[in-house]
Amino acid sequence: MSNREITEKIKKAFLHAVPDRMDEILSDCKVQEGRVFTMPNKKRNKNTMTQILAVAACLCLLIGGGFGFKSYQTNNRVDATVALDVNPSVEITVNKKERVLEVKPLNNDGKTIVGNMDFSGSDLDVTMNALVGSMLQNGYLNELANSILISVDNNDRTRGAALQKRLTNTVNRLLQTDKFKGAVLSQTVHENEALQKQAQKYGITLGKAQLIEKILSKSTVHTFKELSALSINELNLLLSKQTDKLSDIEIVGTASDKAYIGEARAKEIALKKASVTADGLKSYKIELDTEDGEMVYEVEFISENYEYECEINAATGTVVKFEKEYKGSQKSSSTSSSSPKGSSDNSAKKISAEKAKETAFKHAGVSAAEVTQLKVERDTDDGIAVYEIEFECGNYEYDYEIDASTGAVIQSKKEFEDEKRETSKPKSTNSKNTSGSILTAQKATEIALKHAGITSAKAVDLKAERDTDDGVSVYEVEFEYGNYEYDYKINAETGKIIKSARERED
Amino acid sequence: MLHFTLDTTGNKKTACVELDILLQGIAMKDASSLEQLYKATHASVFSFALSILKNVHDAEDVLHDCYIAVWNNAESYCTEGKPLAWLMTVTKNLCFQLLRRRRKNADEPIEDHTAWSCSEEQSVVDRTVLSVCMEELTDTERQIVTLHAVSGFKHREVASLLDLPLATVLSKYHRAIKKLKQHLQ
Repeated sequence: MSNREITEKIKKAFLHAVPDRMDEILSDCKVQEGRVFTMPNKKRNKNTMTQILAVAACLCLLIGGGFGFKSYQTNNRVDATVALDVNPSVEITVNKKERVLEVKPLNNDGKTIVGNMDFSGSDLDVTMNALVGSMLQNGYLNELANSILISVDNNDRTRGAALQKRLTNTVNRLLQTDKFKGAVLSQTVHENEALQKQAQKYGITLGKAQLIEKILSKSTVHTFKELSALSINELNLLLSKQTDKLSDIEIVGTASDKAYIGEARAKEIALKKASVTADGLKSYKIELDTEDGEMVYEVEFISENYEYECEINAATGTVVKFEKEYKGSQKSSSTSSSSPKGSSDNSAKKISAEKAKETAFKHAGVSAAEVTQLKVERDTDDGIAVYEIEFECGNYEYDYEIDASTGAVIQSKKEFEDEKRETSKPKSTNSKNTSGSILTAQKATEIALKHAGITSAKAVDLKAERDTDDGVSVYEVEFEYGNYEYDYKINAETGKIIKSARERED
Repeated sequence: MLHFTLDTTGNKKTACVELDILLQGIAMKDASSLEQLYKATHASVFSFALSILKNVHDAEDVLHDCYIAVWNNAESYCTEGKPLAWLMTVTKNLCFQLLRRRRKNADEPIEDHTAWSCSEEQSVVDRTVLSVCMEELTDTERQIVTLHAVSGFKHREVASLLDLPLATVLSKYHRAIKKLKQHLQ
């Protein structure tokens, strides 16, 4: 007899012994629905004593079993989920007694925080204490970034709200250190499939995704992608600038902006760039905002008939964007060659707009036929009459200032354009990235450095490597500057920045 | 009588998902979900109980109590994707409770311990196989063989259900099969 035959025989023997108790079970269950605990009369030939005992035994079993399950439920069932986000993201699941079932790090920083600590069975407060302590110790929470997000998920709203409040107080107390005061954001999260997908897509927690969504609901200038790259502290800063306060997010303390140069310094930089003094300012507005995942100060002001718009990297003080526009001046439409009208400056006009345009094209090495979005404007720069010429060619945006009297190129700027516009533009024959061909590592490095606002001389440990990412040829460019590590991924064909990351070095 | 065991060769995962769905239905007090769960799993529950208790009547009691307990507590279940394994754990606990209580009340009338033949469907061979299983195998051997042969649990799963090392399960299983071969030939 083979093993198989043996097991088949055993199976058959057991199955043939199986009784059918379904009707009894079903009728018992229906009775129990009304919470009346009656036991079935079993059709067995036993004496009355046995029957009574059996009923009693079953009752014991049921009650005992019931207690057993109740305790199983209380001890092992997830009652609430608490997620902590700083940059490290950690998720804690607790049972009804607020004993920890599991602490799950959700990113690499989270793993650093949790380390070898085993929290299962510990008190939630003790666990929170240890985790926040670890975040402080590892420098994730400090005077530069003091915000932490607590997201509580509990099916019972009232209990969830109570837990949220208590944890906020606990964490807030922990963050009242000698060096800095913390800021605690807390919210109740609700299951949301669409949001969960978004969160997964960008590798963030559901809590953070919900926070971002709430910010987006009040502001139209940001995108989810942009905000997902920001830390909680940065999000908190943006929140604090919003006039419309979010109702369902509780915020204790204020976000730290010490990592940034500050509004006063940003103003100084902007004015210096515009070469105007603070006295002549008519309308002045400064705002902390985000641009391509970086925090920037947006400075807008009007001085002497010109409107300035300047974006300054909030951490480094580098001018990211600078625009100067003559107020009320009539802009020439694209590809038109009309010279600016209504020139208000009194300096003599020596060369024509046409000539200035030609100078700019020649300097850029492009022909008039390839150029789109042409804009020519008369302007004054430091008292000199200039032509401001802007145009696009290939994937680049060019920005020129031509001396109106001498025809000399005062300023030239060539900037790689973002993806949206890039696709609609014809490829330039002159530009270094003709379609199909691969950029040089040098060019990729340049793109990265330019995006970071750093010159190649300043970048330390510069590294550029060709790699493939999802079948796309890319350059991975890494370098260090100041206290930061930069990490770029650049499409080797188009020169598009696929990923940019800046991280504070330890 | 329905003899429905889970398809253990193929879609075990699908079966697990289905059982989990049934448990959710039971949590909503849907009697037809309980009926389906019963049909799909009662053979496993009963056989395992019989292999522990060695008594058809006791096993029947546990079978009954097991589904009543499921009905009353389904909303609090956390099966972690292994509903059948979890049902087995419930069965095991109920059996041990019964045995413990029996030991405490030693004066309780002891029933016929060779009572593993009750159904008319049982053939002579079935009775012989059962009696060999009950008399020749140790308790652990019998439980291992039943879980594997009747319910189709993998040795690894049997090991975790019975809190035994995998190696122990394997050696005990093979010894048991050898014994059965000897006695059934």
